[in-house]
Amino acid sequence: MSPLLRIGEVSKAYPDGGGFLSVFERASLDVREATHVGVYGKRRSGKSTLLRIAAGVERPDSGSVIFDGIDLATVSPRDLARMLRSRLAYIALGDWRPNPGESVAQHLALALGGHGLTVCQAERRALRELDAVGVSAADAQSPAGSLSMVDRTRVMFARALAHDPRLIVIDDPVLTPSVSERDTLYALLRGLSRERRVALLVASEDFAALQGFDVFVSISARELCSSEGNATIVPFPALSQLGSARDARSS
Amino acid sequence: MAGARTKPQRRQWMRGGSASMRGVLLGLVLERPGHGGDLANRMLMRLGDTWRVDTNDAYRLLEQLEREGLICSRVEPCKGSGRRPLIVYHPTAKTSQALSLWMETLLPREPVRFGLHAKLAVARAEDAPRLMVALRDYEQKCLALAKMVTPNGGAQPSWPALFMDCTREAVYTQLRAEIDWAATARQRIAEHSRRQPAPPLTPSR
Repeated sequence: MSPLLRIGEVSKAYPDGGGFLSVFERASLDVREATHVGVYGKRRSGKSTLLRIAAGVERPDSGSVIFDGIDLATVSPRDLARMLRSRLAYIALGDWRPNPGESVAQHLALALGGHGLTVCQAERRALRELDAVGVSAADAQSPAGSLSMVDRTRVMFARALAHDPRLIVIDDPVLTPSVSERDTLYALLRGLSRERRVALLVASEDFAALQGFDVFVSISARELCSSEGNATIVPFPALSQLGSARDARSS
Repeated sequence: MAGARTKPQRRQWMRGGSASMRGVLLGLVLERPGHGGDLANRMLMRLGDTWRVDTNDAYRLLEQLEREGLICSRVEPCKGSGRRPLIVYHPTAKTSQALSLWMETLLPREPVRFGLHAKLAVARAEDAPRLMVALRDYEQKCLALAKMVTPNGGAQPSWPALFMDCTREAVYTQLRAEIDWAATARQRIAEHSRRQPAPPLTPSR
């Protein structure tokens, strides 16, 4: 059975001074239906880049990203935007941009506008999803712009769930919370995703936060390492050169 | 004074690489007497896979503890069947005190990732690819183990549940440190290799 998301031998490099800084090379990763994959890595290890590529928000230099049988490289920006409002959700805290004066419920209802719902239906649906993530009806009327980081994540998660996705990609859900806030939030992410059979791909620099995930993946030295061993790991070029040179010398 | 002279002897069983396992066996015997196989299985269940408990070790360690008078064995009939009798280990008057002593004694840290340390200590530049593979394998194993010992966190319903979860948390935290170390070591080796001029790819004639 093919995985829900298959990242196949993707490479990515960014311009760096006169040359290029390679983030990862020929990295591969599978995310199966309804499984929770936690990506662990330090700052600037390439977690966010990997997740943006997984969600199709960023294109890799080479390799492929197949989601639900569709090669994301072949999807038009318009169709990708549509996909990101349905089967595939991407959450990055930096993307939190509510309209001025908008309430939390209005923000969510607006996001549901494209589903052919009436305003009343969208608001009801928004309140239901907010309730599921622990935002009360009273809090739902508070200004969206004044939310804490943790509550923003809750609302963004509710927004993603409202579209009935099959995979939610989340980049570092909580950056500086207390341990109890972190645990509560992650328990919520895992619990609701299990309940609705949604796959999760979450990146964090806090390994303890990823407790309870089905698969652990670490990212460092331009390689992915997986607890399942399904992430392809390739020796980096400098080492291949060393190996080739040694072989050449011994021949 | 007599107590002071005998103190080193009392602590003899706490020395060596298997001290922690001996301590765990004492605790298990005190909790409930059992035969060697039973205690070995309970130890395996209690410590988890990361300890890589060899059940044969349990018999040897139980004999050591018995020689020190910290536990005693009795031959008892096997319950509910006609099989041969079993050697069942029981606590002695010293068991509880020994366990308490072990609990409050800081044991020397046992070697961690000893094999990799040894390899790194004598590695040559051309060993970098092999080291990278070894480190990557180690990181992968730690990730797989971490997945197996994930603690539940939060409030636990009972004391056994709490201490089991604390144990899991300890292992999980240690594994995270190992993963960090392996990842950092790989990163450093990779960066160092990139800074080195590429060796000639063809042999000079």
